[in-house]
Amino acid sequence: MTPGNGRLAALFHRGADDASLALAKWLGRPAALLVQRLDTLPIEEAAAIMGSSEALICGCAMRIDGAIGDLLLLASDDDAGLSLADTLLERPAGTSTGWGDLERSAVIETANIVGCAYLNAICAALGPAGAAGILPSPPVFLRDFPEAVMGAVLMEQPVLSEIVLLARTEFRIDGTPITCSLVFLPDAAGLAALMPSAVDPGAGT
Amino acid sequence: MLRTFVGSCVGLVLHNRHHRAAGLAHVMLPSSNGRGSPPGKYADTAVAETLRLVREAVGEPTLSVTAKLVGGAAMFAFQSGLPIGEQNVLAIEKILLDFGIPITGRLCGGRHGRRLTVDVVTGVVTVETAGQGTEILA
Repeated sequence: MTPGNGRLAALFHRGADDASLALAKWLGRPAALLVQRLDTLPIEEAAAIMGSSEALICGCAMRIDGAIGDLLLLASDDDAGLSLADTLLERPAGTSTGWGDLERSAVIETANIVGCAYLNAICAALGPAGAAGILPSPPVFLRDFPEAVMGAVLMEQPVLSEIVLLARTEFRIDGTPITCSLVFLPDAAGLAALMPSAVDPGAGT
Repeated sequence: MLRTFVGSCVGLVLHNRHHRAAGLAHVMLPSSNGRGSPPGKYADTAVAETLRLVREAVGEPTLSVTAKLVGGAAMFAFQSGLPIGEQNVLAIEKILLDFGIPITGRLCGGRHGRRLTVDVVTGVVTVETAGQGTEILA
């Protein structure tokens, strides 16, 4: 965990805990999400956080309306994504070799379950500021260059906000780590609720 | 060679064939709204700044250039209204017109990101679209 706002870290750990429970319940197996790193970054630096590799990444994105919007992205490299699909579909490792309808559907449903549990928990922990809850869009699957994905994700941010908040989260299913990242970008109101110092010039950085 | 990746962002290439000089801006937003820094990030400041840098590198304050545009995709199906990528392209096209800079190649829109590589000497832009193959803007 990077240094910084302890309250923010506590909120995201709570989100990860609830998402772990939801994922484990859905899979019927032990599952956990571990928040590895929280960053508040200028938009142009955040664009490179998924790397600039020429290899494509895969993932699911959800538009989030409500108390803390704005967008949630579950992303990984292709191998990890296909491993996740195998795990979700209870297939032997290595069965999935490409992104067919079944594999896409599995990760889309996972993004839906995990993302909603994650953000609902954060809203609940915020008290009145999160009372409006969240209204997520259906996840969309994407497979693209990392920088292109992150650039497009960040451009979904309201132009008013120059700061983005990225929470990177690892999945562990049946004790096996699958390196995925759960990237959350709050809108300006969400950022104010989550991290007042980031949007209040008088409160410092 | 100059290289970048773009999704809804736009790669703006300015090139002068005679002097074998080129500049590349990675434009993220259509308007700086008065911020302007870094200038390459916004359409309304990127054209002037890239042109200034190319002219400065060549040492000709009135150097003419041509432009190529790549990117401006709408990568998420849940986007509504005029996607930010299209806003970026429209803003850059308008400013290039104001500057009298002709657009000699463009590969914009769609739903996928692109990797572009600019050959500074020839001005040729090679564009690889994720999962879709490679195209050349000569």
